[in-house]
Amino acid sequence: MKRKFAFVIATVCTLIIAGCGNGGNNNSASNGNAVNSGTKTAAPAATAAPAKNVTIKMFQFKVEIAEQLNALAEQYEKETGVKVEVETHGGGEDYGALLKAEIASGSEPEIFNNGGYTALVPYMDRATDLSNEPWAANLIPTSKTPATVDGKLYGMPMNVEGYGLIYNKDLFTKAGITEEPKTLPQLKDAVAKLKAAGITPFEATNEWWSMGIHLVNVGLAHQPDPKKFIEDVKAGKATIKGNPVFEQWLNLVDVIFDNAQDNKMTTDYATQVAEFASGKAAMMLQGNWTQGDIDKINPAMNLGLLPLPISDKEGTILVGVPNNYVVNSKSAHPEEAKAFLNWLVTSETGKKYLTKEFKFIPAETNVEADAADIGQVAVAVQKQSATALGWNWDMFPDGVTQGFGAAMQEYLGGQLNHDQLLEKLDKAVQDIVKQ
Amino acid sequence: MRKTLRLQRGWGQQIIFLWPALLFFLTIVVTPFILGFYYSSTDWNGLDLNKAVWTGAANWKRIFTNDDKFWESLLFTLRFTIVSVIAANVLALLLAFLLMTTLKTKKVLRTIFFMPNVIGGILLGYIWQFIFTKGFATIGDITGISFFKLPWLGTPSTGFWGLVIVFVWQTAGYMMVIYIAGLAGIPKDLIEAAKIDGARAPQLFKSVYVPLIMPAITICLFLTTSNAFKMFDLNLSLTKGGPGTSTQSLAYNIYAEALINNRYGLGTAKALLFFFAVSIITVTQVWITKRKEVSA
Repeated sequence: MKRKFAFVIATVCTLIIAGCGNGGNNNSASNGNAVNSGTKTAAPAATAAPAKNVTIKMFQFKVEIAEQLNALAEQYEKETGVKVEVETHGGGEDYGALLKAEIASGSEPEIFNNGGYTALVPYMDRATDLSNEPWAANLIPTSKTPATVDGKLYGMPMNVEGYGLIYNKDLFTKAGITEEPKTLPQLKDAVAKLKAAGITPFEATNEWWSMGIHLVNVGLAHQPDPKKFIEDVKAGKATIKGNPVFEQWLNLVDVIFDNAQDNKMTTDYATQVAEFASGKAAMMLQGNWTQGDIDKINPAMNLGLLPLPISDKEGTILVGVPNNYVVNSKSAHPEEAKAFLNWLVTSETGKKYLTKEFKFIPAETNVEADAADIGQVAVAVQKQSATALGWNWDMFPDGVTQGFGAAMQEYLGGQLNHDQLLEKLDKAVQDIVKQ
Repeated sequence: MRKTLRLQRGWGQQIIFLWPALLFFLTIVVTPFILGFYYSSTDWNGLDLNKAVWTGAANWKRIFTNDDKFWESLLFTLRFTIVSVIAANVLALLLAFLLMTTLKTKKVLRTIFFMPNVIGGILLGYIWQFIFTKGFATIGDITGISFFKLPWLGTPSTGFWGLVIVFVWQTAGYMMVIYIAGLAGIPKDLIEAAKIDGARAPQLFKSVYVPLIMPAITICLFLTTSNAFKMFDLNLSLTKGGPGTSTQSLAYNIYAEALINNRYGLGTAKALLFFFAVSIITVTQVWITKRKEVSA
């Protein structure tokens, strides 16, 4: 009885929210009369021969690009005659719940967002195979992973983001470092030179996510098969302790922590970026998202991006996909939707919007972006993305990365030794996974 | 007949005046509390109520056999409660005695000492986080005093003492006001009589002041104990339970279980346990101090 009542309340709330959402954000660029008269699916029209009187609906969550996307949709209609109706639900709204409500109400948007991995599973009967789309061949390798199931690609990566060691080129020159360090011994050399020149090598932070997500992921990504390793760790068949890759990974962690600034235990993210941007340290483990904050303090800064090495082999940066576009096979016009996505990354207009308006790092290696639009770090991410490793933390259930972060904080504070750290990482997984 | 009518009329009036408050109390406090008993035995993840599966005693078994972090945070909370209750009450009593004397600025000072209690805990936490990490560091750089050069909030012990300092600073002013009220209520002639009988300051304090302000002590101890035990907002804004989980209070542990690990069922079970713990501790404390109250 209680459960039933609670369920009714929950349903009513969802409906109310869904109703409000629909009222607020409908794109004004598309007219109401654009509803298709015929229910039969239009023949797969090539972009050369635009099908008239067709509307595709895009149900997307990124509020930051909502206006630009609407403008782009108008451009597309001018060029091809196909209307793209963009509906944006994001920011404070629960996109996932709204999409469920939208589909439950019988409306099938042609394109919607999906994070991939476990989030994709409920939508597998709707996701269309995009493996043979023209742009698929140009994708950054790691950007395919989240939406790939059994070797087939079920989503188009929206964009990519990446992290590594961001470094201050001027400080490197001052310390007499002429070549970018790419292996661990080279990195140690560079650290020694920086110290000799009186420069703090690293700016570390005590933020749980920087260590628990980004730094731990370096160890995960270097596994021969990260996905299998993570599944094994979750099932208790493998442990992080005793894993040769993680033993090597500790060396990288030590190089960073041992050569970081004095007050690393009390440095939060904002302080880390501010100190780095004002030249107090030469390197920090961060990604392209710091560019905006760095620019606010020192827009003229000369920045580069180093790979994260764990041995004497060359390291890599780590690149991942925040989200994907999925084409809905149960919608009225999946072929038109595919054509639109293709146009987005191949036409001049689309490419221009992608980099100059959305300020994305394109997931396609053949779409060029320049530093003036997306920033120096982002351009460096794109350049090194061909060999990059991926983001793996989404394969863990909620709460695991926070546990990683807590363990890393204790290690940063010198409360743990190597073995204890790896044990705590294992425990963070088992604490959540074990019932 | 007449009596029952009057009784009914009395009830009618009470219900008319009470129902708005009662309605909110029932819907916001009582109903969720009762529902909590049900959810504490499910594996509800906080999202799909219809998918919450009844798991019997599994949550309770987990808490008692396989959850070191919960017990670590209980230990932390107990340590924190003992230290901060003593510190806050001693400081409050000292301030109260100080402000009972004929200081010229006593009205202004009373307001100033009371002020921190008016500011919300979350805000205080963020202000003090800035003071600890930036302010203390700067003072340390300028003066070279090692106390300020400690990595404040960056180690388990500085995190613990940081929380104690802010908590004491926040509550002492409020307790001071209660103690002042208690002290002001002591008849002057009793103190004079004691003085004429030759009582010295320590005797005066122990045998006259303390027994006579016992009601105030009861209230102050109750308020500080239950507030310290339930401390959450300071914990969230000052240390976030860190470094690691070393300064995680019981309330924060429950919050993390439900909202970070998405295990509302387990979180609810912990919250119920927490409720009983707070009840037992505070009721015992009130019962003990109540017995010591005397009337002049």
